[in-house]
Amino acid sequence: MKRYVSLISIALLATVSSAMAQEKIKIGSALALTGGLADEGIKQAVAQRMWVRRVNEAGGIQVGDKKLPVELVEYDYQSDGNRAAQITEKLINVDKVSFLLAPYGSGHTKITATVAERYQVPIISCVASSESVFNTGNKYLFGTLASLNSLTDAMAHLFQSKMPNTKRLAILARDDVFPKSVADEAAKSAKALGIDVVYFELYATGTMDQTSALSAMKASKPDWILGTGYNQDLILLRKQMSDIGLTAPIVSMVIGPAVRDFIDGVGPSLAENVTAVTWWHQSQKFTGIGPWRTSADFYNDFKKENKAEPDFVNAACAAAPIAYQAAIEQTKSLDRNKVRDALSHLDIQTFYGRIKFGQNGMNEARDMPILQVQDNEVKVLYPPAVANAELRRVDH
Amino acid sequence: MKFRSLAILILWALALLSVSLLQNNYAMRTATMIAMFSTLAYSWNFIGGLAGYPSFSTAAFFGLGCYVGALGQVHGLSIPSAWFLAVIVVGAFSAAIGGILLRLRGHYFAVGSIAIVELCRLLITSIPGLTGGGSGLNVPLVRWSPDAVGLLFLVVMVTLFIMVGLVTQVVQRSRLGFGLRCINQNEDAAEMVGINTTAYKIVAYVLSAIFCGAVGAAYASWTGYIDPNEAFNSLMSIKVPVMALLGGAGTLLGPAVGSVIFILLEEVAWSNFLEWNHAIVGLVVVVLVFCLPNGLLRLNFSNILTLKPARRIWERV
Amino acid sequence: MNTIQLIINGLGTGAFYASIAVGFSLVWGVLNVINMVHGSLVVLGAFLGFFFWKITGLNPVFSVPFVAVSTFLIGATLQSVFINKVVSAPVLTTLTLTFGLDLILYNVMTVYFTASIRRVTTSYGNIDLGSAVVPIDRLYVAIFALLITGILYLVLRMTSIGRAIVAVRMDKTAAALMGIWVKSVYAITFGIGAMMAGVAGAVSTLIYPVTTGLSGAFLLKAFIVCVIGGLGSIPGALFGGLLLGVIESFAGYAIGPQNSLTLALAIMLFVLLVKPTGLMGVKGFD
Repeated sequence: MKRYVSLISIALLATVSSAMAQEKIKIGSALALTGGLADEGIKQAVAQRMWVRRVNEAGGIQVGDKKLPVELVEYDYQSDGNRAAQITEKLINVDKVSFLLAPYGSGHTKITATVAERYQVPIISCVASSESVFNTGNKYLFGTLASLNSLTDAMAHLFQSKMPNTKRLAILARDDVFPKSVADEAAKSAKALGIDVVYFELYATGTMDQTSALSAMKASKPDWILGTGYNQDLILLRKQMSDIGLTAPIVSMVIGPAVRDFIDGVGPSLAENVTAVTWWHQSQKFTGIGPWRTSADFYNDFKKENKAEPDFVNAACAAAPIAYQAAIEQTKSLDRNKVRDALSHLDIQTFYGRIKFGQNGMNEARDMPILQVQDNEVKVLYPPAVANAELRRVDH
Repeated sequence: MKFRSLAILILWALALLSVSLLQNNYAMRTATMIAMFSTLAYSWNFIGGLAGYPSFSTAAFFGLGCYVGALGQVHGLSIPSAWFLAVIVVGAFSAAIGGILLRLRGHYFAVGSIAIVELCRLLITSIPGLTGGGSGLNVPLVRWSPDAVGLLFLVVMVTLFIMVGLVTQVVQRSRLGFGLRCINQNEDAAEMVGINTTAYKIVAYVLSAIFCGAVGAAYASWTGYIDPNEAFNSLMSIKVPVMALLGGAGTLLGPAVGSVIFILLEEVAWSNFLEWNHAIVGLVVVVLVFCLPNGLLRLNFSNILTLKPARRIWERV
Repeated sequence: MNTIQLIINGLGTGAFYASIAVGFSLVWGVLNVINMVHGSLVVLGAFLGFFFWKITGLNPVFSVPFVAVSTFLIGATLQSVFINKVVSAPVLTTLTLTFGLDLILYNVMTVYFTASIRRVTTSYGNIDLGSAVVPIDRLYVAIFALLITGILYLVLRMTSIGRAIVAVRMDKTAAALMGIWVKSVYAITFGIGAMMAGVAGAVSTLIYPVTTGLSGAFLLKAFIVCVIGGLGSIPGALFGGLLLGVIESFAGYAIGPQNSLTLALAIMLFVLLVKPTGLMGVKGFD
C-alpha cells in the first residue's frame, strides 16, 4: 500500500513538475519485492530509497549549472526473469528513465543488462559478483561488488595461517550462479595452498533436507567446512549439521553471518564461531563522497532510519547510485553514453570503499573483511587494520 | 461461413503485428507476449481441449525448447537451425513420453504430466557441464537495435501463432479432430467404434508439444539467458490451460480470446496491485471455474440474463 | 557409509513426509480432489506454530490443538464454499480451482506474514548411539507424525464419522442411500485433511524454516508419497512416506542431494505407470 501511495505521489509529482517544466534525473529499478528473492530485494530497495532521499534533501545532483532532483522509478518483477526483461523495457520506453539499477540475482541481472545494452542504457548492479555475469562484453553493465575471486583467497590464507593443521576442506554449495561460483573459487584457493578438497557437492535450489549430503561429508572428516547458498539454505545447513553431529574446527558460511538474519535464524548457540567473508563491514574506516562521508555515518544513519544494522547488501546498493552521482557531476550532463564513459573511468572513494570499475565492469578487488560470530556479536578477523578479534575454533 | 474463425484469427494476428507501428517497444513486447501465450494455449488445446486429457506438461516442452535452442546456438548453429532442432527434439521427446504417459487417464495422467516438468527440470540441472546447471545458460545475443529485435520477435511469435491456429483449424475439421472429440466424450466407446485411440492421442500430444518447443527456443534467443527455474516454470503449466479454459477449450477461437484477456488482466493487476498479483490470478481462476465453466465463448447470454445457472460441460452426460 | 545413520535420517524425514501426505491422500481418496492448497496449508500451520512459539515461548508442539482447530475450520469452509461445487467435475477443473485457491492463500500469507524466513530456534541436542546420532527434535517430529497418523487411522476405523468417511470413499452413492449426508462428510474430510496439514506444519517448525517458499516443496512430497503409497490409505501414506525418506537418504548419499529428488520423481512415475493405485492403495480413481 505504501508503495502504491508513493508511486502515485511520485507520478503526481512528476506531472506537476513537468507542468512546471522542471527536469528530473530518472533512475529505473526492477526489484524483487515478492517471490523467492524478496528478502534480499527489499534490502536493495531500502538502501536505494535512502540514497534518493538523502540526495534530494541536499537539493539533488549537480548537472552542469543546475541542481536536479532524483526520481527513483521502481517496479516489482516478482523474482520472475521474464518480468524483469519486461519491466526493463517499460522503464526505458514508457517511464523514460536515464539510467538503471540492476535487480538482485545474477541471472536476473543478466537478463536486465541484456535489454539495457540493446538500448545503450548504463546499468549498475550492486549485488552481482560472478564473473559469468560480466563476461559477455556488455559495455553498459557495471557492478559495485568486487569479483568474488578475492573473497576466498583471503579466507584460505587467514585460516591456514592461524590454524596450520587445516588440511581438509569440505564444500556443500547451492547450484546457483553466485553460490556455485564461490564454491569453485574456494576449491581453487584451497588447492593453491595445499589444502585438499575432500568433499564437494551441489544441492538443488529448494532442498529442504541436507542430512544425507551432510552424513557423507561427515565421513570425509573435514577440518574446514564451507557452505554456500542464500540465507534460508545456510540456516538449514547449520541446523542440520548440528542435528547429525557434524562439526569441524572451522565452519564458514558464505554469506551467512555477514547478515544478521542468519544469526537470528540459527540462534546464538549454532551461530557461535561461524566464519564468513563479505564485501563490507561497518567497522571498516572508509571515507569518501556521497551523502555519507564515512562508513560510520552510513551505519548510524541506516540504523536510525531503519532500526536495524545495515549489511553489505544495503551498503553496496546505497553506494551504487553514488557512482552515477559522480559520473553525472563529472560529465555535467545526463547523456547516457557520456555517463557510461565516465563510469568506465571512474575512480572514487566512498563510505563503501573504492569504486573503480575494471575492464569487465566489475569493481576492483578489495580487502574483504572476514567475520566471525563471537559471543553473539559479529567480530572482524581481517583485514588487520580493522580486525578486532582472533580466529576461534568451532566446538560444537 | 466455414472460414469465419480463420479470418478472425488472421485479422487478429495482423492487429498484433500492427502494434509495431505505435513506436512503443513496451506495447510491442506486450503484443509479443500475447502472441506467445496464445500459441501455447492453442498447443494445449490439442491435448487438453480436444482430447480432454488434462495435461500440465506445457512447461516441460517450453523448457526443453529453450534449452535445445539455446544449446544449439551456443554450439554454433544459426538461429533458424537451432529453433528447428528444438522442434524436432521436443517432438521426439513428446512422442516417446506420450506413448508411456497417455496410458494413464484422468488424475493419474495429470499427476504424471506435472511430474514430467519437474523431472525435465531436474535432469537439465544435473548435467551442468552441458547446460550450465543451476547457473543458467547465456544465449548468444541478436545484436540488432532494440526496435529491430522487438519487431523480429513479434513477427516470430505471431507467425507461430498463425501456424498453430491454422493447424487447429485443419485438425478440428479432420478425422483426427473428430476422433479426439470422441475420445474426450468416452474413450472406451471410441476404441470400440474403431478409432485408434493410442495413435490419435499421441499425435495430439506431439502437436501440443512442438509449438511449445518452438516458442521456447525463440524465447531463449529473445531473452539471452535461461535457467532451469525460468524455463521449467510450473506456474506456466497452470496459466496456459487456464487461458484456454477462459476462452473456451476445444473451440477455434477460445485460446486466443482467453490468452488476451488473461494477459491484459495480469498487466493491469501487476501495474496497480503489485503485492496481490498471485491472488488476482487465483481469483480469475476461481471466477472462471464458477461463472465461466465452459469458457467465455460458450457463454449463453440469454441464460445469464434470465439468471439460469450454467449447465456445466461435464454435466452434459 | 554409515548405514544406520542413513536409515535413521531417512525414517525421521520419512515420518514427516507421511504426516504431510496423509491429509492429502485422504482428500484425494474420498473427494476425488487433488488439493493443490495442501502445501500452503502446511505452511499456514507452520506460521501459526511459529507465532505461538514467538508469543508464548513454548515448544510449537503445544500449539497443535489451536492449529488443529483453526486449520480444520479453514478447510471445512473452503470445502463447503468452493470445492463442493465442483466435486463431480473432471480433474482439470478441480485441480485448476484448488490451484487458484492456493495462489490466493499463498499471496495472503506472503503479504501479511511477509516474505522473510522465520525459524524456531530451539535446540534439543542429540542422542548419541555410538555409531549414529539421533537428533532429538527430529525424534519429536517423527513420533508426532506417527502419533497423528495413528490417531487418524483409529478415528477412521472406530468412530462413526470415520466409518462414514470410509463409506463415502468406497461408494458415495451407496453411502448416500444408507443415509449418510455426503456433503457434510466431504466438508469434514476436507477439514480433517487441512487439519493434518496444519498440524504437520506446526510441528515442522522444529526442523524446517517457516516460509511460503516451501509450500511447493511440501506439495510435491505429498504427491510423491501418495502415488507411491496409494491413495486414500493411511497405512499407504505412512509406508510411502517412510519409503521415500529412506530412498532419499541413501540416494542423497550415493548420488548427491540433487539427483535424489530426480530419482524420487522417476520412481513416482514408474509406480504411476505400473501400479497407479500405489503399492498399498485401495480403490483407484479414474
